[in-house]
Amino acid sequence: MKIKYFLVLAICTIIQTHQVIAADYEKVAEKKLFNGEVLTEYKLPNGLKVILLPRHEAKVLTFQTWFDIGSLDEKMDAKLKKTGLAHLFEHMMFRGTDKYPDGKFDELTSRMGSDKQNATTYFYRTNYYESIPSNQLKKLLELESDRMANLKLDAALLEKEKGAVVGELRRALDNPGRIAWDELNRTVFEVAPFRYTVIGTEEEIKGFSFEEAQYFYKTFYAPNNATIIVVGDTNEEELMKWVVKYYGDMKSQEIPRYKMPEEPAQKKERRVEKTHPQATSDILLVGYRIPPVNSPDIVSLSLLSTHLSTGMEARLRKALVDSGIAVSAGCGISNVPDYLEFSVSLSEKHKAEEALEIIDREVNLVKSQTVKKDEFDRALNQELLSLYNMIEDNSSMANMLGDYLMVSGDYMRGFEIIDQFKKLKPADLKSVAKKYLNKESRSIVIVRPPSKKSSRS
Amino acid sequence: MLRTTLLCVVLSAFAFGKSKVSFRAAPPSQNGVPAAPIVFYERNPSGLTSDVSVIVMTGSIEDPLDKVGLSNLVAEMVLRGTQKMSREKFQSELERIGGSLSAVVSMDTIQFSGSVIKENNKKFLALLEEALLHPAFNEKDFLELKREILNDIVHVKNSNGRLGGLAARREIFKGTALEKPGFGSKSTIEKISLADVQRRYNDFFDRPKIVFAAAAPFPESEMLDAFAQIWRQFPDGSKPTKKIVNLKVPEKPVLIVVDKPKTSTGSLFFAQAGISIQDPERYTLNTGNFSFGGEPLVSRLFRIVRGELGWTYAIGSSYSALGGLSGQQGLYTISSTPSVEYTSKTIFKILEMWKSYLDEGLSSDELDLAKDSLINSYPFEFETAAKRVSHKLTSYLYNVPILTPEEFAEKIGDISNRKLKSALKEKQKANGWIIALVADKDVVAKDLEEYQKDLPKDQRLTISKVYTPDELVN
Repeated sequence: MKIKYFLVLAICTIIQTHQVIAADYEKVAEKKLFNGEVLTEYKLPNGLKVILLPRHEAKVLTFQTWFDIGSLDEKMDAKLKKTGLAHLFEHMMFRGTDKYPDGKFDELTSRMGSDKQNATTYFYRTNYYESIPSNQLKKLLELESDRMANLKLDAALLEKEKGAVVGELRRALDNPGRIAWDELNRTVFEVAPFRYTVIGTEEEIKGFSFEEAQYFYKTFYAPNNATIIVVGDTNEEELMKWVVKYYGDMKSQEIPRYKMPEEPAQKKERRVEKTHPQATSDILLVGYRIPPVNSPDIVSLSLLSTHLSTGMEARLRKALVDSGIAVSAGCGISNVPDYLEFSVSLSEKHKAEEALEIIDREVNLVKSQTVKKDEFDRALNQELLSLYNMIEDNSSMANMLGDYLMVSGDYMRGFEIIDQFKKLKPADLKSVAKKYLNKESRSIVIVRPPSKKSSRS
Repeated sequence: MLRTTLLCVVLSAFAFGKSKVSFRAAPPSQNGVPAAPIVFYERNPSGLTSDVSVIVMTGSIEDPLDKVGLSNLVAEMVLRGTQKMSREKFQSELERIGGSLSAVVSMDTIQFSGSVIKENNKKFLALLEEALLHPAFNEKDFLELKREILNDIVHVKNSNGRLGGLAARREIFKGTALEKPGFGSKSTIEKISLADVQRRYNDFFDRPKIVFAAAAPFPESEMLDAFAQIWRQFPDGSKPTKKIVNLKVPEKPVLIVVDKPKTSTGSLFFAQAGISIQDPERYTLNTGNFSFGGEPLVSRLFRIVRGELGWTYAIGSSYSALGGLSGQQGLYTISSTPSVEYTSKTIFKILEMWKSYLDEGLSSDELDLAKDSLINSYPFEFETAAKRVSHKLTSYLYNVPILTPEEFAEKIGDISNRKLKSALKEKQKANGWIIALVADKDVVAKDLEEYQKDLPKDQRLTISKVYTPDELVN
């Protein structure tokens, strides 16, 4: 899944911090959100973090488990040095324990009425999620804790699951847009492991051994490497009672941490072109290197990307889609990997170069002219609308908290960013455009259809 | 992205427990037209946005056969400027106040849905009124829109999953407006004129066909008065018609290939006749389908074809592949994306599993699983104000009851395997499949030949038609 940072408005007040409730767990922080809701963070002695946002409108809740492990870690791990296992392993987490053998987890969560149950893996994290009727919380905690602590890896099942993952990979390989994005990561990063795909290669997937899978599980699936996020119809007393019961006995362990190779500063524009047999028109991606999510400049860069691409009146849409040059045109911030990305799907009769020229024109405009007040307000209010629509949904809210926690170390970072939006001035957008949107720090990827002669050769 | 896929919030009201729901349907006037608008509303005091839908009871099923996409063009043109405001001015103002507004056209509805930050609700409703009642229908905007839609249509060639659906519906809905998707095709869009759009708007945007639905933090009277003001300005008209079309289903499986050279997966789309929302067997069939193929992770198709055989990443079945159930009989579909070397195997495995399902229904474990899951997950259907309003709206549009949790549990609890087998026998065909496969035709032909070499001739599948992606979007 590719990250889109949902930016969030809030005035968050820290009410309490580090209050020890009982020896069983500690209340780390309690924070009031701008809409009056109160979010609380807890921690077990074994390092497991729990974030709770109670909501009682309906008798349902979303439960998510986030592990601070993704494809970056496995690529840097001295024993693995490849990617794809974090993702393959995510599949294996549904394949059974002694108590609940293969298929039983899915069957039982389904019987309890789970909704949107699944899991995802990305560069820096893996998450498991489901929404359930709130009266099923205890049973769900038993099941989730069981697979976290007692997964029974089975060599035969591992081989079968590799087939499904290869199918997933091949489906991605048939998608020219996905290939373009993989290529952008390979182009932007010369040494950092972002240049390797999360899912791995077919050779890597087929080559993972049973021992490597065991090593991965024992090393990274520990309570002190996990955060539980619950949004919905429960309360501290109920939730923490069962969390302590089911997770309290797990042992923390030493999680290997690796220093990301330092990416050398980019000094000139990079450009890659390739063809894809399934492409029917050009695809253009442009990535400008930007600072990490905790940089103050991210706030202005985020609003700048909204100004350029969100809504029917966004500048890119008008210049590229309304004109008939492109079918779609977008711009967004990606953090970890950190870049501001333009993506354009061209119409059949148009070439990527035309879109690039227009992107350059629009970038030059925001670098040379201050955004008009009306346009600035448009971007800000569109951000608010997007935020409001998102936080009303339990699982979207949990996703936002989890993603910011994993990417920045602070689950409230999204709320801070939106709060800071209100302090921005139109000139701030011009300032970050001048600072970061420069040709020498960008990478361009163009994926084109094959020539007609070669399409069946 | 196709404009018709720009989904937005669907709203409506329903009362379970403490939810406060309003439904206003006025007594009929002398000519049979209601004297006040039909409105479904739920006040959501803690809401940060106002979410509004306006439904016009006409859809793509009523498009002329050679002008499929007309309803969609009408819906989009309503949002492209008004008599007082250019498209740019209208859209800029809408977005500046923190609003969004879009249209979705289904077989039998045009739904305008919008959302705005609550501080600007009144300004939003004024813009909505202006758009619905006084669209500009400007020639330049119309030509731009047509170009944009044509680009979107051509771009569908990039989506193997959608190409399979296009191929299947061409056969099953042949000779009707539904043989092409609601956004039309290149040839049908090119034939539509601005005069066609204006005529369609004049013919169908009238009081009897318009329904309002909303969830917002404001008092009921405030929203209902605003809707009444809009509604009163529409002309009188005739009641909506309920047009339906018949499906053409083959007696034996028909394999159609959409030729995409050098794919590493095959995109499979099985289709046969499904059900309408009013079908008395819909609860039974949906319950059966849950465990046969409807629910990822636990369904029989998923467990066997992915979990045990590892031939594919994705496989599933559905009664609502063309959108939610409606008054029109829809399709029952099974779709999958096996790795290309497993394509033939997957086709025959699906056919074998389908026959077994029709003959035997579900095991008691599978049936219990489906029943438990459907009953226990029913609260999610009414989780938010938007979902509650949506159910109420559907209930009104199609005259189907909304079941309370107790009624739903009783209904689902009563389903037995005997009932399921009986419903399957009555509604589904053992062999009546259109099988659309998007893959390299040469690879498919070779793979099929190899796989079927030991099969008796009468059990073999042959490729009955090959489409190019260009043909399907034309």
